[in-house]
Amino acid sequence: MSALPEDLQDLERRLVGVQFEPRASLGAEILGRFQRGDTGAPGRPPFWLRVRGLAAVLALVGLGLSVFGLFALRSPALASVDRCCHDFDGGGDADDGLLILSRAGTEVRRLAIYEDRDGSRSFTPADLIRFARSGGPSLHAQLLPGAITTEFCCLDYDGGGPDDDALLVVGLPPDRIAMAAIYERRGPPGLPAELR
Amino acid sequence: MTLPFVQSAPPGAPSQVSPEAGALCRAWYEQHGQAVYRYLRFHLPGADAAEDVTSETFLKAFQAAHRYDPALGEARTWIFRIARNSLRDYLRRSRVRRHVSIGGMRDLACQAPSPEERLLWEEEVGRLLEAVAELPERDREVVSLRYGSGFDTAAVAEVLGIKEAAVRTRLWRALARLRDQLTDRGEP
Repeated sequence: MSALPEDLQDLERRLVGVQFEPRASLGAEILGRFQRGDTGAPGRPPFWLRVRGLAAVLALVGLGLSVFGLFALRSPALASVDRCCHDFDGGGDADDGLLILSRAGTEVRRLAIYEDRDGSRSFTPADLIRFARSGGPSLHAQLLPGAITTEFCCLDYDGGGPDDDALLVVGLPPDRIAMAAIYERRGPPGLPAELR
Repeated sequence: MTLPFVQSAPPGAPSQVSPEAGALCRAWYEQHGQAVYRYLRFHLPGADAAEDVTSETFLKAFQAAHRYDPALGEARTWIFRIARNSLRDYLRRSRVRRHVSIGGMRDLACQAPSPEERLLWEEEVGRLLEAVAELPERDREVVSLRYGSGFDTAAVAEVLGIKEAAVRTRLWRALARLRDQLTDRGEP
């Protein structure tokens, strides 16, 4: 593109300088999901199927409206929960925060643990993300002898309302997080819990 | 390609991926993962969305790997076709979803020695990408592949299935539009 006018060359130089880097663990995460049989979001069905599906959905919606009223249209909204500060990584300082994006009360879509570097006691762009995962559980490091497992129970971590969720974090002191998961307590300790 | 890609498993049980298929998947991600992510990042406002669509792209590619025929074209072209479809699906779905961006530009590579310079660079990149987002879709595609993925014009032509001369024309036109948009906003 050497024949570009000078003002476009400058713009091109700026665009070439924009380099985004995916998370180093993303590839391993995708392979892990594939090996577990996760096929990702379903693709778009063919047109005829969409028309048939739409007709069926309209019929069901009509029926639903007549029976349940407008409440049938409500679905859990996305909620974000920001809880700071605890010592999640076992480093000794309560300077770690937890950021969760979930469908209220049902499904955790994002979970991130950050170090509250600016002391704002909430997530800001200045903070350092130590751990992030999407819907599926993931393990970011081999478990080492020094790992510290901490359970926090019970708070409303999924935005559903009741304080019925627990958080499990495996930290590698002083500042690494190997794993984090949220689950819903369904009864007294010892009973099976449901992973979010 | 007749790889025994996903061996049959009872319903609900995890798929059994053969070692050679696993190695092929790993190789595909290693060769094309970064380019796909960067292409998507030029289209999407945050790292989380780009990660989601990258994951979706490769999961679909791995799942359909038995249908990939090297005689019909490079794996890169095939994977980018899936990426473009996944992006379209995502954008259609996201029209009815509320976006929540939690990471800013944490995935932006930056050699700036000071936090201030990094911040300024992030702001400039934000302005550039906002201007890219306002381009017509055809121009945006060319810009994302050329500068996001870092492809040369021949590779962009191959992915888009058009002639290299057409890529150059679109690229020039897109850059001129970008320059005009940035000038209209009073930016240098």
